Amino acid sequence: MKYFIFIISTSLKDLYRNKMRTFLTSLGILIGVASVVLLLSFGLGLKEYIKGQFDSLGTNLVFVIPGQIFGNSGGFQGMRSAVQFDERDLVSLRKLREAIYIIPIFSKSVKVEGNAKTDFATLTATTDEIFPARNLEIEFGRLFDKPEVDKRTRVIVIGPKVVEKLYDNPILALNKSLDIEGQTFKIIGILRAKGGGGFGGPDFDKFVYMPMKTGYALNTEKKIAQFLVKAPDNIPFAQFKAEVKDQMLKRYKEDEVTVADSAEFISTISSIFAILNSVLVGIGAVSLIVGGIGIMNIMYVSVTERIREIGIRRALGATEKDILYQFLSESVLLSLLGGFMGLGVSFAVVAIVQKFFPAYVDLMSSVIALGTSSFIGIFFGVFPARKAAALSPIDAIRYE
Amino acid sequence: MQEIIRIDRVWKEYMMGDVLFQALKNINTTISEGELTAIIGPSGSGKSTLMHIIGLLDKPTRGNVYIQGKDVSKIPDDKLSMLRNEFVGFVFQQFNLINKLTILENILLPTIYTRKELKYNPEEKARYLIQRFGLGGKEQSYPNKISGGQQQRVAIARSLIMEPKLILADEPTGNLDSKSGVEILKLLKELNKEEGITIVIVTHDKNVADQTKRTIEIQDGEIIK
Repeated sequence: MKYFIFIISTSLKDLYRNKMRTFLTSLGILIGVASVVLLLSFGLGLKEYIKGQFDSLGTNLVFVIPGQIFGNSGGFQGMRSAVQFDERDLVSLRKLREAIYIIPIFSKSVKVEGNAKTDFATLTATTDEIFPARNLEIEFGRLFDKPEVDKRTRVIVIGPKVVEKLYDNPILALNKSLDIEGQTFKIIGILRAKGGGGFGGPDFDKFVYMPMKTGYALNTEKKIAQFLVKAPDNIPFAQFKAEVKDQMLKRYKEDEVTVADSAEFISTISSIFAILNSVLVGIGAVSLIVGGIGIMNIMYVSVTERIREIGIRRALGATEKDILYQFLSESVLLSLLGGFMGLGVSFAVVAIVQKFFPAYVDLMSSVIALGTSSFIGIFFGVFPARKAAALSPIDAIRYE
Repeated sequence: MQEIIRIDRVWKEYMMGDVLFQALKNINTTISEGELTAIIGPSGSGKSTLMHIIGLLDKPTRGNVYIQGKDVSKIPDDKLSMLRNEFVGFVFQQFNLINKLTILENILLPTIYTRKELKYNPEEKARYLIQRFGLGGKEQSYPNKISGGQQQRVAIARSLIMEPKLILADEPTGNLDSKSGVEILKLLKELNKEEGITIVIVTHDKNVADQTKRTIEIQDGEIIK
């Protein structure tokens, strides 16, 4: 024990004696570790965010989307088929009486004008069931209801950011009219802020909701982009999902429609992130290797500088192993120092970034970062340390 | 007196380029416990090579070295290191202290590498040696902050910390002014006389050799007297 304390304290003193060199040498590892940990933490944050978005929609949901969106190899295919849904599909799906709700969604980016100002928003033409399904709550005014959906009433419920941009005060916006692509609608409600958006995800606060058929004014082809179907609790989910699919396959071919649940989306996203993460970790690993070579280089310099010291220690009874451990502990400490600093930088960056991005450092990546830096210290330190240990005591002590 | 070291038909040969250089040629000698011996010879005579072999820093090309009757010419490096640590104390011409360690740390260095259970508190012993050699107050000083004579006394203190049977001093006065040289030699003689430690001094200086009880004269790798 005393021996190991001696070895480590000797190494720490030597590293402290050359503060600048120690810092610059461990910088390579610092950058490598920080880049790997940060990239992983951003990836994790983004994945959690996307998963959260699906989770917020609730469980037991079936998404009906045109085209084949999942590729055979597990990723998103990204190719949309020429098929587009319409009201016939809604009627067909409504034959599934046990469904808790079937929400048709038409969505499009639109230019909105009100109070002599202009903004862009996401128009969603749907049914009143969308509000509970997306956990949307009213802040001012009211939501539209089923009779308004059936009667094509020209009413809209808008997100708080649209209000903020066009009207200074939400009270002023209520019951005012809003022009969407030249057509006028009445604002009957303003939603409570929900957050989101800003990094690829939808910003729900910039949505404009209107009854589905009212939306035909802006959707002349009367298309429906997707259906959101909620399964009942009394039927096995897989069975219900199969029924939805059978219903859709009456009109479409197998590859023209996707019937999926959030687990499928999440697993596809997970597999994409797994690939992304391995690429990112690979890039980080290159900088770790470069950092390791830096350590090896400095350790060779250190061995050459201290040949005489090695000779003295050998004359006084240090074995080859004693010398090996001394240099090895120095390179491992050097590398670990870089690892800890890299982790520190990652935590600091994540703490700052967390204000607007849900990144987080998980325990696993911290452990891997420190484990990897120790390994690099050993791997790249062993060659110089062996050189030091192999010096003949007599040649070393005579070295000028 | 009991034999402490026996050098038996020892040869040491090197290749210098294409030429075979014989540093030691068939050396036979015995050093007994409690002796104060000088190995004297001109530079290049092989006296340092002989000291390195006696001190287990180097191995003979041929022949055997016996330490207290045990052949150590073929033992592995770690055993040799342990033997060096416990059995021999070195005093070098260049002092060979480690400049980044304090005086106290330098003296304690051999105790760090020992595998032997020490029967005394090494730090207490180191402090005692510091006082004894007139270095009191220098415990936390660094070697490059003290005089050559003081550095050599630190080296002697270091050579004694493991309570070795043998001290090998390679030109111990070679880097000192004459006054310090006399003091160091006096100190070594005292250690031999009062504590019975076997001391071998390697020197080219006849005045130094004259102060020892026995002289081994070496020339061109051979003992001539």
